[in-house]
Amino acid sequence: MDFESLSADLRSLQARALKEIAEVSDPASLEALQIQYLGKKGDLTAVLRGIGALPAEDRPRVGAVANEVGEAVKGALAVRGAELHAQVQALRLASEKVDVTLPGRPVGRGTLHPIPETIAAITEVFGQFGFVVYEGPEVEDDLTNFQMLNMPPDHPARDLWDTLYVDIPGHLLRTHTSPGQMRVMQTTRPPIRALLPGRCFRYEAVDASHGFEFFQVEGLMVDEGTSMADLKGLLDEFAHALFGPRKTRFRPGYYPFTEPSVAFDVECVVCGGVGCPACSKSGWMTILGAGMVHPVVLQYGGIDPERYQGFAFGMGVERIANLRHAVPDLRYYLENDLRFLDQFR
Amino acid sequence: MRVPLNWLREYVDIQQTPEQLAERLTLLGMEVKGIEQWGADWRSVVVGELLTVEKHPHADRLHLTTVNVGSGEPLHIVCGANNIAPGQRVPVALPGAVLPGERRIERTEKMGIASEGMLCSGDELKITTDAEGILILPAGTPLGKQLSDLYGDVVLDVDVKPNRGDALCLIGLAREVAAATGAAIRWPDIAVEEKGGPVGERLRVEVKEPELCTRFVGRWISGARIGPSPDTIQMRLQAAGMRPVSNVVDASNYVMLELGKPTHTFNGAAVNDATIIVRLAIAGERLETLDHVVRDLTPDTLIIADPKGPIGIAGVMGGADSEITDATTEIAIESAIFDPVSIRRTGHRYALRSEASLRFEKGQEFRLARLGADRVAQLTLAWAGGSCAGGRIDTSPTEPAPARLAFRPARVSKLLGDDIPIANQRDLLRRVGIETEPASSGVRINVSAEPKPLVVDPGSAEVLVAVVPTWRRDLAVEADVAEEVARVRGYEATPAHLPDTLMPAYRPSPLKVRDAIREMLVGAGLSEVVTHALVSPEHEARLKWPVDGEDRPIDDPEVGETIVVTNPLSSQHSVLRRHLVGSLLDVLALNERQGRADVAVFEVGKGYGRAGGEPREWTRLALLLAGSAQPASWNRAPRPYDLDDAKGLVELLCRHLSLPEPAYHADERGFPFHPGRAFSVSEQSEHEVLDGRVAELHPDVTAEWDLRSQRVIVAELAIRGLADGLLPRVYVEPIPRFPEVERDLAVIVDDSRTAAEVQATIARHGGELLRGVRLFDLYRGAPLAATEKSLAYRLVFGTNDRTLTEGEVDEAMAAVRDGLAADLAAHIRS
Repeated sequence: MDFESLSADLRSLQARALKEIAEVSDPASLEALQIQYLGKKGDLTAVLRGIGALPAEDRPRVGAVANEVGEAVKGALAVRGAELHAQVQALRLASEKVDVTLPGRPVGRGTLHPIPETIAAITEVFGQFGFVVYEGPEVEDDLTNFQMLNMPPDHPARDLWDTLYVDIPGHLLRTHTSPGQMRVMQTTRPPIRALLPGRCFRYEAVDASHGFEFFQVEGLMVDEGTSMADLKGLLDEFAHALFGPRKTRFRPGYYPFTEPSVAFDVECVVCGGVGCPACSKSGWMTILGAGMVHPVVLQYGGIDPERYQGFAFGMGVERIANLRHAVPDLRYYLENDLRFLDQFR
Repeated sequence: MRVPLNWLREYVDIQQTPEQLAERLTLLGMEVKGIEQWGADWRSVVVGELLTVEKHPHADRLHLTTVNVGSGEPLHIVCGANNIAPGQRVPVALPGAVLPGERRIERTEKMGIASEGMLCSGDELKITTDAEGILILPAGTPLGKQLSDLYGDVVLDVDVKPNRGDALCLIGLAREVAAATGAAIRWPDIAVEEKGGPVGERLRVEVKEPELCTRFVGRWISGARIGPSPDTIQMRLQAAGMRPVSNVVDASNYVMLELGKPTHTFNGAAVNDATIIVRLAIAGERLETLDHVVRDLTPDTLIIADPKGPIGIAGVMGGADSEITDATTEIAIESAIFDPVSIRRTGHRYALRSEASLRFEKGQEFRLARLGADRVAQLTLAWAGGSCAGGRIDTSPTEPAPARLAFRPARVSKLLGDDIPIANQRDLLRRVGIETEPASSGVRINVSAEPKPLVVDPGSAEVLVAVVPTWRRDLAVEADVAEEVARVRGYEATPAHLPDTLMPAYRPSPLKVRDAIREMLVGAGLSEVVTHALVSPEHEARLKWPVDGEDRPIDDPEVGETIVVTNPLSSQHSVLRRHLVGSLLDVLALNERQGRADVAVFEVGKGYGRAGGEPREWTRLALLLAGSAQPASWNRAPRPYDLDDAKGLVELLCRHLSLPEPAYHADERGFPFHPGRAFSVSEQSEHEVLDGRVAELHPDVTAEWDLRSQRVIVAELAIRGLADGLLPRVYVEPIPRFPEVERDLAVIVDDSRTAAEVQATIARHGGELLRGVRLFDLYRGAPLAATEKSLAYRLVFGTNDRTLTEGEVDEAMAAVRDGLAADLAAHIRS
């Protein structure tokens, strides 16, 4: 064995290896080739076994050739390996193609009911102006629901609230959230900025715009200089927050527990103020009642009407929700047909 | 109140269009709810003149007429009425006309003769109530004119508030128009021609209850002839929504609408001894009222009587026996002031509320008793003839002077939030008839009236005295003056600004916990519902949801008795619910009827009860799961809801509220629960924060509710803080610095052992290195015995100061194994 024949063997090994590497078509065969040529018991090692028979001066030269051959084979293996990997990956990815237009896997989510959501929308607006939420009982006493609100027994204004009575003497189902004003005044001192959302009841036959159970949000603000101008400013903000930049109208109303009393109108959300059946051709929709708290009411609340004054307002939650969501029938709310509720996604 | 504008114009000039007037009144506080074109339903009805009237050749009761309608050829019209004659002007419905009630008039043939339209009666036009004869129009009525142009009117529907009884009449609304427009009021000229002898010789009046009848004015007319009132009057009454009856009754109704004064006219001949007695009824007395209902009178009813017995319920309704009939000639006129509360109670007691009682309830101006009696007498004489006795019976002829109400203009400005100069305030008040004058010294201010009067010394503040017109009984305190100033000025003049006063202290919202739970459950796929609090008594009877001690609400010691509505609208909604689950079953039933099988809903709502005569309310979370938890999809198999879904939600809830793991205790009572699939739940903290029941319903319950769903999972939970709580704070544990060690353990126990027992035993024996235990498999079957099951747990060990050695963990595992063997006779599967 001499240097020439040994290096010729190495060169032919290289040529054979590169050829086979180029021809191989799958990663497993490529790996087999790597073992066959470069493994501990591989062909390259086998050729180099003859190196011992060479003269000492030739050995480094053979070593250099062997290195070159080894590097060349290694390089070819790497290149081919990368190619094969890319091919295989491309094939796999191609095989994994999906019809992306198919619908997804449903993630179940329910819906929040529009009544509490509307209450949340209302409290959010007034909350920004420092109003905090209180709650009062739904089974009220006559004293708080009527008498302390300036409606003694047999007061004609009681006709405005047809009442459901219960089998507890002196008690009834609250006809409005206004008794909550009394509960707040009796438990806290001015400055007061309170909101009272909740369920109310009236003796009222059910139709598309009436129900015997409904929800209201009451507001109360009392301080030394709280005026009707404050009320007007706040209600304007509220109307704009919920209904966008619409005209508003402040006009006299009547409640026994406010003086002066206010009815608050917003430009009709259906016709924009031109006049349509929804607003009885007036161009306006009344969204709440309000007024300056009557001195008698302040007194019942333990607040000196000479020092303090304030306003209260009350609105029907369903009314607000109807206008915001174009709900055609009040009965939808407590019926809970999912075909209605599902629309609030 | 319906206000015909042409009638209103009698008392005040109106320059505005009806729409403009309606807006002005609305902004003044007299809300106009509607504007009606009265007579708009006389389409193609014109004025015609009868040229000829002849007998119909084939029918005795019909006439052939020719009518000139102002243009074109005279029309040939067949008519059945007997009051027609040539030369009369009559309403003619032309072919194509449409009369009230959508009655169409076409060219027809009557008994062989063509008829080119119809002559109209007052009743057919709803102008008068006369259905017998044709409406004969005044001689000068212009030929060919549309009837609606002549007699049509615009009627405003004004919502008069309960405090403004004075405005429940044309004069009252004319005053408001005057305030809005600056026009002057024209009172009718009330004067009675008295030709008869002194009234005292015809009528005696005794008021036994002067507190309840503060004034009684009586008049007497003899020789009246009862008949219809003039057509124009009938038209006015009809337009105002009141049915014409007869001239005398119409006079009384006319005065009620005109002046706001209800009066009553009796057939004088039917008043025994011509003596009217105002007294309380005596038990056992009865009266047939004008509506022909015989009523048993209770002793607290104020009545009008004669010496023989009741002839009317005071202020509410007259008696049938003394009703004005066609034969009546003697008329007794009653114009009284009654106590509003007494009238109101009487109206409620007999479920009988009339236009009269509505006005009495709101209080009456004192002088109206006199004016009303005179006006009714005047109109009766004009429309029914006869002669009026001289003078009036008047039990209280002294009429009070106007009240004087002191106010501080500066307070008015402060309340309204705008500086309104004093001169301005005085001008504004003058427009509603309130004169003002400077206050004398020592004057006091009514800040608040009965039942909590507050009268203060104004000190150095400038004070004015308002002279309150006698009809304005609603003005009693300073704030009332402020409202008058504000409304006459126009609320739109009030500035709008955001409050700049002190803010209240922070207060957490009671809605916070509720909102967190709502959001969470919606994210978990449930929909929120809001159901009726008023339910049927059947609900509770059918469901029998337990109300024992275990179930009591956390925030209330007792569920108590059911609260019953004493005047329910229907039995379906006659009691307040104690539990929410029944309402959710109703929701399921409704949606099943709409073809929805998959229903997952929850409600955060109240339960109600009574204990010790006091009402109680508590807030609960209820949920219901029926149908598929995962509806079938092209990429997923469906899965029905089961009890584990409800448990998962309870566990999610506990995590969300930072509560410890909940513990479950089987409830094997059976109905209303599946006896093997129900449990009570409570979390294991020191202060119990959550408890309630979770169950699959017994099949008999689903059958009772007619449900299609075979399995319905429900839960009702009391959660402390649901009513008014804060979300618990999260306290962070440091992230472990040393690795944790996991070991699995398969525990074979008798089937009667619960998972909760096994887990608790592991926890008890695991030592302080044991950080967590989680069940990951449950197995029954070979090679286990039939009475055995295998529960596989993953145990996590760790400590904060070092990496555990194998030996330490082995030791802890050995303790767990030994404990399981000793406590539960468990063995470990290897």
